[in-house]
Amino acid sequence: MPEDKKVPANAKPSVIQPMLYKSVVTIYRIFAIVTLYLVLFGVLAYGFVMGFYALNTSWAAPVILSPADDKSLDFTEKLVTSRQTLEDLNVDMKRLQEGVAEMNKHRAALVALEPELKAAIVREKQHNLATGPQLLELDKQKQADNAKTQAVMAQVREVEATINKDLAAGLITKGDAATQRAALNQAESTYTDSKIGEILLTDSILEKTTTDTKSLDVLDKQAELISEIAQLDIAIGVAQKQIYEETKQINMLKQALTTAKSTPYYLSVSGGSAVNFAFVPYDNQGSVSVGTAVYDCYLNMVACKKVGTVKQIFAGEEHAIHPIFRTDIRGFLIQMQLDHTESAKSKTVFLNRKPLFF
Amino acid sequence: MAPVLVWLILFLCLLISILKYTFALILKWSVSGATVKKDYTFQPTVSVLMPCFNEGKTVYETIESISRSDYPNHRFEVIAQDDCSVDDSYEWMLKAQRDFSNIRVRVGRNTANSGKARSVCNALQHSTAELIISIDSDCIFHPDAIRELAACFSEPKIGSVGGRVGVRNPNENAITQIQTFIYYAAFQVYKVPENWTRSVGCISGCLFAIRRDLLLEIEPKIRSRHWFGIPVNQGEDRFLTHQTLLRGYGTYINNDALCWTTVPSTLAELFNQQLRWKRSIIRDLFYTLRTLPQHVWSLHPNTVLTLVLTPLGALLGLLVVLTMLSGNPMEVAGPAPLIVYLGIGAVLGFVIRKYSAREAVNNPLAFGAYLGWTLISSLFITTLALCTLDSRDWGTRSKEKEQEASESDAGGQESAS
Repeated sequence: MPEDKKVPANAKPSVIQPMLYKSVVTIYRIFAIVTLYLVLFGVLAYGFVMGFYALNTSWAAPVILSPADDKSLDFTEKLVTSRQTLEDLNVDMKRLQEGVAEMNKHRAALVALEPELKAAIVREKQHNLATGPQLLELDKQKQADNAKTQAVMAQVREVEATINKDLAAGLITKGDAATQRAALNQAESTYTDSKIGEILLTDSILEKTTTDTKSLDVLDKQAELISEIAQLDIAIGVAQKQIYEETKQINMLKQALTTAKSTPYYLSVSGGSAVNFAFVPYDNQGSVSVGTAVYDCYLNMVACKKVGTVKQIFAGEEHAIHPIFRTDIRGFLIQMQLDHTESAKSKTVFLNRKPLFF
Repeated sequence: MAPVLVWLILFLCLLISILKYTFALILKWSVSGATVKKDYTFQPTVSVLMPCFNEGKTVYETIESISRSDYPNHRFEVIAQDDCSVDDSYEWMLKAQRDFSNIRVRVGRNTANSGKARSVCNALQHSTAELIISIDSDCIFHPDAIRELAACFSEPKIGSVGGRVGVRNPNENAITQIQTFIYYAAFQVYKVPENWTRSVGCISGCLFAIRRDLLLEIEPKIRSRHWFGIPVNQGEDRFLTHQTLLRGYGTYINNDALCWTTVPSTLAELFNQQLRWKRSIIRDLFYTLRTLPQHVWSLHPNTVLTLVLTPLGALLGLLVVLTMLSGNPMEVAGPAPLIVYLGIGAVLGFVIRKYSAREAVNNPLAFGAYLGWTLISSLFITTLALCTLDSRDWGTRSKEKEQEASESDAGGQESAS
């Protein structure tokens, strides 16, 4: 700005300079007036826009959900994880159910074996009860028989001495003596067998009248059988509980997946750019219902035209930045059925009615 | 990218301001070199030039306050120059001339409305004094003002000295209360680092002392100031300060030289005053930028920073507010800025009450409203100033009849007695 240029007192008055200055000042004034009117218009327009959006309750902000944005990516990741978990649970459930079936079969077999074993034990016990006293009697008789046989054996030894004397006297031949001696030995051997038989009989009596180790083995087997059944019961119970829990989890996951399928993010991921959404703040909730008309306006408020309808209202809460005030606001998403897809790129659309009646 | 740049520059301006104010406080309290050496035995002859336009009785009160100055009466005079006031200002001047016979009062009148700067130059024609003090005709002066200003000129490199301007009507309403804070902070804090390097960027025209030789050297420049052929009548104080610095002299504010002015009490008056000041700031910035190499080579870096950053900050305010409103308009509605302003108001209120009881503000929290004014000032006044650089009115003075201003320097004196 030539504000301090000094004009020499004796300088010739320039013709060009005043004209130049006048032109510059004229251009400046035109520019200044235009600028000031623009500023005035800008201020009024700004104030009007601020007031309009502070009072209007029918605007919604179109949202283009890209499969690549953070929320969609997060949603996709969770969806894939949930599906994988569901699949894993189903496999695990099948395995558990097969296991339970197998255990039930095994248990049934064991349970069926148990009464047979019990019956055999009872039967044996009863038999022992019957034969035990009989054997005891027989043992006594055997002992009496043996005592008698023992007396006879003393006579046999005398007979042997007689045989030896007769042989020495030549009364009998060596052959006769041998035959007689063999008969004596046979008698002694029979006596010994009888003694052994008596002892064995005692064993049998012991077996039949008391609980012997063999019986204990059988009882042990019985206890093992019962224990195995109990263990199977526990395993079946655990498996069934696990099945119950996993069934619950599967149902919950299925429900979550069903819910997820009804979210805008699923629609966005599966439907691509053909699906259009808009954010509706809670303040404007009253203006939205399924089938409500959607208007797109020039300069975000005038010369509006109907561009579609509201197709679906999503329940989940969403946060967004106010398109004008830039504040964080709460609301929800809606799906729009747009005839003019370009409106999905507008800053705002209006629901139900034109905001300024034109 | 652009908003980031704006915020970055704003941040730098804020940082520099904070550093400057902090530095100012340190200097004020601990560095004796920040104040000029005053010699009260140095008593040059003084002409107090008082240009006037439509001030009415106030001119009488102003001359009355000067007549009570604690300075040898024979060593100073008052030269009152009326710029074709349409009210009774001239009559009040003549009355003052009659009533205050203890001092010499000369009264002159321009042949055509010429603006303050040319009125000062016209008044200068009647002066033969060594020191010229230019004052505003609506101020009241402390008896020590002339003595304090003159004492600073004992430092040979001091070219211009200003006084502290206080507020006469601090509690008229919130508008005057806010201005009281601003005036106090500006003189007591903001000017201190500039004082340290004797490079005050703008000495207030309310109380402006300058060596006669220096003023005579600058006078032709004042008279020939124009904006594409349109005479520039405003901002002569800033222009004079700037020219003083460019001629290698120091500039200084002596806060012991006091005067009190009546600050605007309505938004319209304030708007007009601020508009006038902002035009002056913008003109000065353009001038500085146009001659930047000269500034960089010949002036103290602090002077260059003062001359560039202060007006640049004012212009950037516009960009900052525009960025803010277009980006996140509700951000300004948050409580933080208001709390900061209220805090500043409380501190300043306490300090003023303690150190300058005459200007004590009854409601320091009124300073909170300055936040709103900052927005208006940045958004509208800057824009309007940028678009009305061809203006040549007196700013705060109303004219009952629009008079044709002479584009040439036709402002001679009709009478001078």
